[in-house]
Amino acid sequence: METKKRPNYLFVFIALAVFTLIETLVSYIQQEAIKFPTLAIISVTKAILVLLYFMHLKLDSKIFSYLFIAGCVLSIPLILVIMVVMPQII
Amino acid sequence: MNEQHTNVAPLAQHENTKLAIWLFLGGEVVFFVSLILVFVFSRLTISNYEAQFRSLLSIPIIAANTFVLVTSSYFVVRGLEAINIKDDRKGLQTNLIIVMVLGLLFLGGQAFEWITLFNEGMTLKSSFGTPFFTVTGIHGTHVFIGILWLIYLLVSHKRRPFTRDNNRRVENFGLYWHFVDIVWIVLFTVIYLV
Repeated sequence: METKKRPNYLFVFIALAVFTLIETLVSYIQQEAIKFPTLAIISVTKAILVLLYFMHLKLDSKIFSYLFIAGCVLSIPLILVIMVVMPQII
Repeated sequence: MNEQHTNVAPLAQHENTKLAIWLFLGGEVVFFVSLILVFVFSRLTISNYEAQFRSLLSIPIIAANTFVLVTSSYFVVRGLEAINIKDDRKGLQTNLIIVMVLGLLFLGGQAFEWITLFNEGMTLKSSFGTPFFTVTGIHGTHVFIGILWLIYLLVSHKRRPFTRDNNRRVENFGLYWHFVDIVWIVLFTVIYLV
């Protein structure tokens, strides 16, 4: 991690706190068409903020990002298998 | 020849443990994705989910608990910054203690939620209870392991303080802790908000 380009952690933390508040309020909205995509976008944004700034993927060697992405990619066949198998089990 | 070899090395020797942590976290992604999917499918099969279970979940309390975990992540980076930038050993110790307290607070919040749900009649074997307690329980176990790791780091720091040049173990712990935070961010949305 390069200390010269260190991010403003307080700003990231405030953004995470505000997003948590917003998604909590959004959860009370009854319209699923608005609620679901909004919550999904906020959740993914929060996760990316933590990954890029708190876990320093933005500054660190790309190999760490590739390892994490590999985990996500490997999940895809798992998702497909579970989608096929689970309806038969339940 | 040897010099050339050194120059092309993609990662420094001290980055190896960090590489291992990221490899482990990549595997954890697959693990948690499978758990979350099982939860989602189980939930979809419950016909009257809203009336039966959703009403039992206290979103404000869990939102507060989410805030506690996010705050703990912030104090991890503050601790790392203290030791990396200022070589502030006391600052690192203080921030790590705050992280530990916040982690315990999170687990306390989760225990409170579980006790409330048990009192409401939810069991481990119910259609919602099984996936719910499995996913949140495994996440809680990860938080608990993080707290044990933190205690180990604090004891190590007391014996032989971490310095600006020797704090890799704190950074590795931070990666684990932030990952546990990310998992909760996703669980909070999938279990409680959607």
